[in-house]
Amino acid sequence: MSGGRPSLFLLDAPVTSKRPAARGMFVISMRAPEIARAVRAGQFVNLGWAGGPLLRRPFSVYRAEDDEIEVVLKSVGAGTEQLLAMKHGGVVSCLGPLGRGFDLKGKSAVLISGGLGVAPMPLAARDAKAAGLRVTWVHGARTAAELCAESAGDEVVWATDDGSKGFHGTAVAAAADADVVLACGPNRMLAAVAERWPEAQVAVETYMGCGTGVCLGCAVPLKRGGYDRACKEGPVYRAADIDWPALPSHLSYAVTA
Amino acid sequence: MSVDMAVAVGGLELRGPVLAASGTFGYGTEVPLLERRALGAMVSKGIFLRPRAGTPPPRIAETPSGMLNAIGLQGPGADALVRDYAPRWAEWDFPVLVNINGESASEYGELTARLDGVPGIAGFEINISCPNVEQGGLYFGNDPRAAAAVTEAVRRRTKLPVWVKLTPMVSDIGVIARAVESAGADALCAINTFVGMSIDLNAYKPRLSFRTGGLSGPAIRPLAVHLAHQAARAVRIPVVGIGGIACADDALEFLVAGCTAVQVGTATFVNPKAIAEVHDGIAAFLAARGFATLAELPRYLPRD
Repeated sequence: MSGGRPSLFLLDAPVTSKRPAARGMFVISMRAPEIARAVRAGQFVNLGWAGGPLLRRPFSVYRAEDDEIEVVLKSVGAGTEQLLAMKHGGVVSCLGPLGRGFDLKGKSAVLISGGLGVAPMPLAARDAKAAGLRVTWVHGARTAAELCAESAGDEVVWATDDGSKGFHGTAVAAAADADVVLACGPNRMLAAVAERWPEAQVAVETYMGCGTGVCLGCAVPLKRGGYDRACKEGPVYRAADIDWPALPSHLSYAVTA
Repeated sequence: MSVDMAVAVGGLELRGPVLAASGTFGYGTEVPLLERRALGAMVSKGIFLRPRAGTPPPRIAETPSGMLNAIGLQGPGADALVRDYAPRWAEWDFPVLVNINGESASEYGELTARLDGVPGIAGFEINISCPNVEQGGLYFGNDPRAAAAVTEAVRRRTKLPVWVKLTPMVSDIGVIARAVESAGADALCAINTFVGMSIDLNAYKPRLSFRTGGLSGPAIRPLAVHLAHQAARAVRIPVVGIGGIACADDALEFLVAGCTAVQVGTATFVNPKAIAEVHDGIAAFLAARGFATLAELPRYLPRD
């Protein structure tokens, strides 16, 4: 850690609003001033709440503005169901910002997201534009209703598996080359990104215990052998560095009481 | 009113009875928010003599009020521990014990010899109870002769405090407790995780790649209190209670049940300040009841 200014915060963050972004997908805003100021694109927060599951749940920071941060989620289990039911003023324990974010250098960036993989992209668009990059965001989903209605950047491309909106096919197929390729989505999609752009920066999803580097639960298998931690060395990786067949491609969330 | 929380455990004088459990505090250097103010001692992540990659993911699965883990003792090996971590531990104001592992009694001995005398290492916690390694681990923990042999192998190589972390996966923990006491242990830690399994109903297979994992968290607390109590009744050396402690009342249950100190583990994943809160809560409990020292806390420990 760099000395001096604290870089990690544990805050009680009151929920300030909730809005739909796609079928079953919602954006939740919460007041977390120190985190909102410190967070960089690709970093995440680990959230816990009273009466919630035992372990915290990791979420990419979707947007950060003034004193607020936003996360995007779908109901995938008991925990996210509780979070979605939280009322205005309900308090979420917010630990972050965590992990290593995107590295934004070049003249152009293409942001490729599949489904909930939109999560880090608005912040990535903000930081990329601030760094002087021209930003194209390619949004993919199975069908038009599941496409996130929100976007950012200079150009937006839509792609649906069933052709109900925009490009008929995957977001990876719809995307053009750029100096910087950022991607987030199902790990299977990220493996396809790695095939086409080995230098792409991908944000992976894993099960996570602590989020702070001590439990070693979020192991990411590396091509050079061994594992490192999605919460610490990740969640953003150079696509070519990951041993994709060894990374679980489907996370089952059926959990807890 | 301030309460004297100091306690002596198996050869170490500790400023408080709340310790960080192995594998849940890393090497103590990872998280700036982890509260070290009230820490009685830290037990570092389990280490083998040589580096280990650990098990493939998924490594963890949450279950009701608990979690299963199969990390497989991923670690950098003894040389890296001595080079990268021990020098930092030497500067801290609380002792660090190293959780040691091996695939044979002689490997435990060799590891002890490598670490003995290194500044920053105040003692050893012998892990004879890890459920997540193919060889060694649990095997040594459920056979009294093997448990004693490992303890002796470590004891011969060091004059530092030697603690032994017991597995709950035994029919009579008292038998193992007495065996390692006779072999020269200075304290016992009870208990390590229970072996558990959870099934992914979408994939028709276990949720962990290792199939099974160690269950920790509040789900195991009553089981752990009972086993720590059974161990404490069986021996004269101190017992450090472990299992699902998340708040001061949880810790006090272990202390009243006969433990001398406690370790907090999984709770730290959720709340980086858990150890400080448990420590402060115990002090507040004692103060509210007019006790000036932790030693005055009444214990329930009928001897067999």
